[in-house]
Amino acid sequence: MKNESKNFVALAEIAIEDGNVPRAVGKGTRTAFARRISAMYGTGHEHGEKMRQQAAEAKRRSLRQLPDLLEQAEQTLTENGVTVLWAETAEEARQHVLKIAQEHGSQSIAKSKSMATEEIALNDALIANGLDVIETDLGEYILQLNEEHPSHIVTPVIHKSKDDIRAIFQEKLDMPYIEEAEPMVAFARGKLREKFLNADMGVTGANFIIAETGSLCLVMNEGNGRMVTTMPDVHVAVVGIEKVIANMQDYATLTQVLPRSGTGQNLTVYTNIINGTCDDGGPEHMYVIFLDNGRSEIYSNPKYTEALACIRCGACLNACPVYRSTGGHAYGWVYGGPIGAVITPLLEGIDTATPLPNASSLCGSCKQVCPVDIDIPRMLLDLRHDIVEMRESELKWDAAIKSWEYVNLSAPIFEWGGKAARLGLKLGADKLVPNPLGEWKKYRDFPDFAPKSFRQQWRDRQKGE
Amino acid sequence: MSAKANILKRLRAGQTPIKYDQLESERNVIAPMDDVDLLERFVQQAKALSAHVHQVTDETTAIDTILQIIGTDNTVLAWDFEHIPLAGLANSLKAKNITIADPRDGSVRVGITGAEAALAATGSLVISAKEGRPRSVSLLPHVHIAVIRAEQILPHFDTWIEQQSQNQSSFRS
Repeated sequence: MKNESKNFVALAEIAIEDGNVPRAVGKGTRTAFARRISAMYGTGHEHGEKMRQQAAEAKRRSLRQLPDLLEQAEQTLTENGVTVLWAETAEEARQHVLKIAQEHGSQSIAKSKSMATEEIALNDALIANGLDVIETDLGEYILQLNEEHPSHIVTPVIHKSKDDIRAIFQEKLDMPYIEEAEPMVAFARGKLREKFLNADMGVTGANFIIAETGSLCLVMNEGNGRMVTTMPDVHVAVVGIEKVIANMQDYATLTQVLPRSGTGQNLTVYTNIINGTCDDGGPEHMYVIFLDNGRSEIYSNPKYTEALACIRCGACLNACPVYRSTGGHAYGWVYGGPIGAVITPLLEGIDTATPLPNASSLCGSCKQVCPVDIDIPRMLLDLRHDIVEMRESELKWDAAIKSWEYVNLSAPIFEWGGKAARLGLKLGADKLVPNPLGEWKKYRDFPDFAPKSFRQQWRDRQKGE
Repeated sequence: MSAKANILKRLRAGQTPIKYDQLESERNVIAPMDDVDLLERFVQQAKALSAHVHQVTDETTAIDTILQIIGTDNTVLAWDFEHIPLAGLANSLKAKNITIADPRDGSVRVGITGAEAALAATGSLVISAKEGRPRSVSLLPHVHIAVIRAEQILPHFDTWIEQQSQNQSSFRS
């Protein structure tokens, strides 16, 4: 997917002025945010916090041992009849999938939701090679019909209202006018069922891979993940290397917090643990592709290793005041919201996404809701430092910052500067103020100065005493 | 060098210990269910998820209930009957000329399974697929009937996982 993160400000303005996006996204995120609170803290605040600590340690434990766990996972998966492949880059991953499709003569590919496959732009590659691809997650199916990309990690079509979706179904599926959501879903379900029954290959991601047992774990509400991992002959999973966890206990720990944080459920409708192939009516061939695509670099940078603890629950998106207003498309790439603002520059290169670490007031909501306690605000600050260090010096900006520093370090200059500003404002100087303050004033009113400065009031009070 | 070797090399070269200082509690933070009637809790949670829960105390009523749900259909999908804890089911279906279709037949309306366990906290069924228990039986049909015994009900997902880690039988194919 083409990276437009550099245009965050423009894209955010478009989204906000649209009105529909902040409305739909605001509603969806606030609902999810409230549901998360009930689910995580339903049995008491302390209990919920203990669950988060437990999960945070579980992911960090896995990260500490990641290379060993990956090797163990390869072994246990192979013992379960799974073919394990490795991909350093997105292109390698795409080539793996194409080769598998070729080997098995797969023509129609049914996908369940996978951000990793979005990241490697898999669909475009499959289609370019003459294969039929259908997204089976209802939200992603809707987006595919409308030739759009997902805007949220967990609820990809959060930016669309019921009316938007009805219009898409009417236009692209010849659906007659249906008022209510449930019968609309039933209509789409009928269309999707055909595809499930006839697909040659199912493609998924994975929420976790358990190294100890060689298990691929998926959570889902719609059951499409079950369909695409059961009906076709071939199942291919594209999995980020950071998804590997150590053992079943850690899996149970993380399963406590993932659905609660993502959708406010104690468990999703379906929680799947797939242990390779066997004679149970499932696929005959199963492949797991371990995807690096920049993750090992993130791993090696101690400032950012914990970004790999992310379990892609979406809670930070739902809590973020910026995301709630702009929606996911403004972030310009696959991953939006707070975690997107961290991993987009890290995966794609800081120079491709410089606005993103600044798309935050550092309110800290994301860290508070993160089920594995990732310190996103700290990483955003670190990325800002990295950006400043990397860029060439900008004379005007650097000079302005240096002056500001000078003024603030000198009490008399600060005071006289304040007096001058107060006088200037009285004389109407604010009308002459050039950019960048002019930009600042575009959306804000310049505050009035108090009639007396604090210093003056203090002095007067001292004199009075 | 292969992709695998390159990736592992980079990871090993970059390995740094990530501490987590906030951890205090022991493992297993699930809220205890010692005083909870598991059957009652399971029924309550399952109904909240729109499951139809039929509590019966004898096999005949159980079979009649199933036949009622099947209605006028003459095929169903089903697990091998040895895995469905209802001894007379196979014969009753035969007596009504209800045949068991190929598990991949997407046109059949009803699928009948047992379950490995049930979870009270969430009203969940643990369905393990193995030979004789195809995955599609609880997946393809529009109606899924699961026959379980009350003693199969466990408190939490965590409980079941704990059992599995003692003997990884369900996890290894």
